[in-house]
Amino acid sequence: MKLDRRFLLRGTCQGAAAAMALPFLDCFLDTNGQALAATGERVPTRFNTFFYGLGLTKSLWVPKTAGLNYETTIQLKPLEAFKKKMNVFSGSRVMIDDNPNFQHWSGVGASATGISPSKTGLFDSKTIDQTVADVISRGSRFKSIAAACAGDPKQSYSSLGGANNLPAEASPLSLYTRLFGPGFQDPSRGDWKPDPQIMLQQSVLSVVAEDRKRVTQNFGASDKARLDQYFTSVREAEQQMAAELKRPDIEAKVTIPTAPDEMVVNSALPNMRLVLPLMARLGALAMATDQTRVFNLSISEPGSQMFVPGDPLGYHQSTHEEPLDPILAYQPRVARYNVYSMELFAAFLTELDSIPEGDGTLLDHSLVYGFTDVAFAKIHALDGIPVLLAGGASGRMKTGHHIVGDGNPVSRVGLTVQKAMGLSVDSWGGGSMETKSPYTELLA
Amino acid sequence: MHKRVLVAVLTVFVLAGMSQVPASSASGEVVSMRRLTEQEYRNSIADIFGKDIAVQGVFEPGKRIGGLVAASAAILSVTPVGFDSYSKMADSIAVQVTSEKARGRLVSCKPASAAQPDDACSAQVFGHYGLMLFRRPLTGDELQSRVKLAANMTKASGDFYTGLRYGLASLLQSSNFLFRIEVAVPGSGKDYRLDAYSRASRLSYLMWDTTPDAELLKAAQSNELGSPAGLAGQVDRLMASPRLDTGMRAFFSDMLQLDTFDNVSKDALLYPKWSVQLAAAAREETLRTTIDLALHDNGDIRELMTTPKTYINRNLAAIYGVPFNFDEEWVPLDFAPGQGRSGIVTQISMLSMFSHPGRSSPTERGVALMDIFLCEPTPTPPNNVDFSIVNNTDGPLKTVRERLMAHATNAICASCHTHSDPIGLSLEGFDTIGRHRGTENGQAIDVSATIQGKSFVGAQGLGRFLHDNPKYPACVARKLYSYAKGVDSQDVEPKDFKVAYKAFSDSGYRMRSLLKGMAESEDFFHAVPPVAAAKSTKLASQ
Repeated sequence: MKLDRRFLLRGTCQGAAAAMALPFLDCFLDTNGQALAATGERVPTRFNTFFYGLGLTKSLWVPKTAGLNYETTIQLKPLEAFKKKMNVFSGSRVMIDDNPNFQHWSGVGASATGISPSKTGLFDSKTIDQTVADVISRGSRFKSIAAACAGDPKQSYSSLGGANNLPAEASPLSLYTRLFGPGFQDPSRGDWKPDPQIMLQQSVLSVVAEDRKRVTQNFGASDKARLDQYFTSVREAEQQMAAELKRPDIEAKVTIPTAPDEMVVNSALPNMRLVLPLMARLGALAMATDQTRVFNLSISEPGSQMFVPGDPLGYHQSTHEEPLDPILAYQPRVARYNVYSMELFAAFLTELDSIPEGDGTLLDHSLVYGFTDVAFAKIHALDGIPVLLAGGASGRMKTGHHIVGDGNPVSRVGLTVQKAMGLSVDSWGGGSMETKSPYTELLA
Repeated sequence: MHKRVLVAVLTVFVLAGMSQVPASSASGEVVSMRRLTEQEYRNSIADIFGKDIAVQGVFEPGKRIGGLVAASAAILSVTPVGFDSYSKMADSIAVQVTSEKARGRLVSCKPASAAQPDDACSAQVFGHYGLMLFRRPLTGDELQSRVKLAANMTKASGDFYTGLRYGLASLLQSSNFLFRIEVAVPGSGKDYRLDAYSRASRLSYLMWDTTPDAELLKAAQSNELGSPAGLAGQVDRLMASPRLDTGMRAFFSDMLQLDTFDNVSKDALLYPKWSVQLAAAAREETLRTTIDLALHDNGDIRELMTTPKTYINRNLAAIYGVPFNFDEEWVPLDFAPGQGRSGIVTQISMLSMFSHPGRSSPTERGVALMDIFLCEPTPTPPNNVDFSIVNNTDGPLKTVRERLMAHATNAICASCHTHSDPIGLSLEGFDTIGRHRGTENGQAIDVSATIQGKSFVGAQGLGRFLHDNPKYPACVARKLYSYAKGVDSQDVEPKDFKVAYKAFSDSGYRMRSLLKGMAESEDFFHAVPPVAAAKSTKLASQ
């Protein structure tokens, strides 16, 4: 039995609403009085992004050989455990066309949308996670979730386009509350039943959504678009409630922990090392219990302010002010910060890989798009911007490769991602970065 | 049966509310749509329902545009994440308002039966709160939909107040509450003017940072705000209230970028005295000093750059190096001339917000102060600058100044650094958390600077330079105008705030004169109608 909200509101349940509680619930039970149960659908493929600022050091991260069985490099060392479960892309280009190189932004926009941004701080289209979510998130409670491990809700590179970035949860506690606070029901428990409260809230949303028809004033183009966005958000809330009325199809073998404590969340590396695993774990559990299928985790702003206590410069200032070591020919302090970023990425993957699911792990049923803002932070260079892609996308992505981009646009990776996620899309990106060529050798 | 009652009630209500609305908002041009800021939302709820109604939830962040977060409210929308939060807050507020404890005070009528719908009573409640929340009367349809919702929910639950709760929650998460929708109607000739209710909102959020009170709404309804005398009467009333402090605190917080503190971290190893409490106190110190000078003393705003007066608490006293032997939490303090402090530019807030976690930054300080006080933003540096020399503290160049100067010998870099650095260099006598210091890496710090042909020494010289710079008060006027209208300050022309600025300078730069001059000038409610989205822009037709 497929439940449709309109049916519930306007159909037989509307009558039942008058008598409240129990008859209410009957709408959700099958003829045997069981809550609607798993339909035996296969585990969904999830999509994740991981954003870290300031890139990596070319001479230390790019493997010497292309293809399979490349030798792990110094800066990829923290990810060695996942070598067979990921692909690394070197030599990708960001083509800015007629736009300026917006420092620490052009690379973010290009990686996340395939389009060179026309303004700093704004995305010229919806970001890749939202494009993927449009297709894969149907039926899950949250279309997507973003979390920022340095404590700033603005550190989200998940956007509906324009200025409207989806704010990130900025502490483990707020992430927990959003995912597992009020409104959450553990699907692994035997006594799962829909909450009749939700039906009432749906009626409220229905009135709010219908306000759209009551608008009588004339709007200019941009304000009309903003009002449309508001009503799209209302519709998404309606979809969330519809999902909450239905027991997730998935059988998760996980336990939801109790709420984490309040903690200091900022750009100091020791704090990030405590916060990231907690956030990653919560995101992984949310995906395992099908609360969401898209999870975006960031560790910094594009010009990362990460700092090791005692270092008066911190990461971003170091990239600009630390001289190149005359013998090593790179910036040693910056290189250490690069490695810290990869260690945090590895901690994220570890959490995804620790949840068993069917014949593999959550990571095997996911794709994780790791991206950054620059190739060489010292001079804001964009050519060779690193992209790291982890997870097997439920077998649709071949892994273990080092792909040498050879000056190809970074958007080729994004298109490959969308193909692996099952989107029917032929091209992606804009301007010189518009591409119709995914890395077909990676697609199974 | 109850349907007939409803129609009758609605008719009475709608007639009472709508018939006198001059050029009603039902058919105007929307000229601005501003998402409520967190503080505007909180203040509005407190004023409508009382301070004991808890508002718990996360608000979507704004962005700073042209130096003001207020400008971003006019370009941001509500994302699904934001709506989820607004929706939960709406329900939580509605539950509190209709609770047994609060309903006696907040629900103005009693239902005929507590277990049955009472459309007359619910229409009265929604009509009243709808007007307060939407800042204009509800349309008949808006009201009727809520009355119907409440009746259905009452029938479902067997409780009148449960019905009220859901109806109220639907108003609280409506776009008409979450956005301040400013509507303009044709004025004399070709131009457009804000309608009466939009005027009331603009005045109220500017002056008090909250929703219009009953008297202001009445002045809108009677179109008193349409006449110069009526407008002046309301402006005077708003400005005479102590609540003007709240409104101007919100403005100065935005202009001085004090929200930046939310994301300032300092290196705890190098600066163990830094704490969240210290940051909060530093922000409060600056607001107290500013409001005291600008409003309570009706002082010359230029003196904000030079005044020795401030307020401190125990945390701040430790950084300023002054004893604190008081029982009160906050006490006034006059810095002695020898302490090298000068107005708010040398307060802990301004010094620490624009510095690195472990080190002061003359460039960041200079760039920020030029932008905040002189409305002169600095362009971003070229992409391929070599800053290495700035960092090498082991070399012969010991102080930041020496290293910056070396870097600025490059012609491209110099064009900007001669613009922004002098201000920052004159503040090098203070470290990244605002403590006074005389040396850096063992070398005495030179705090002399030359900018735009004027030479000065140290923070006190800087304070005097800003005090005497006519760009500073002009910048205050520009920012206030942009804040009030929700526009990018870089897009504003001097003529837009000419009348207000004249009142400001004629008064010897008193903030009250600027405010009054602005609110009463003809330009303030002038609007350019938007270019329509398409021929059929009415959303109803889609």
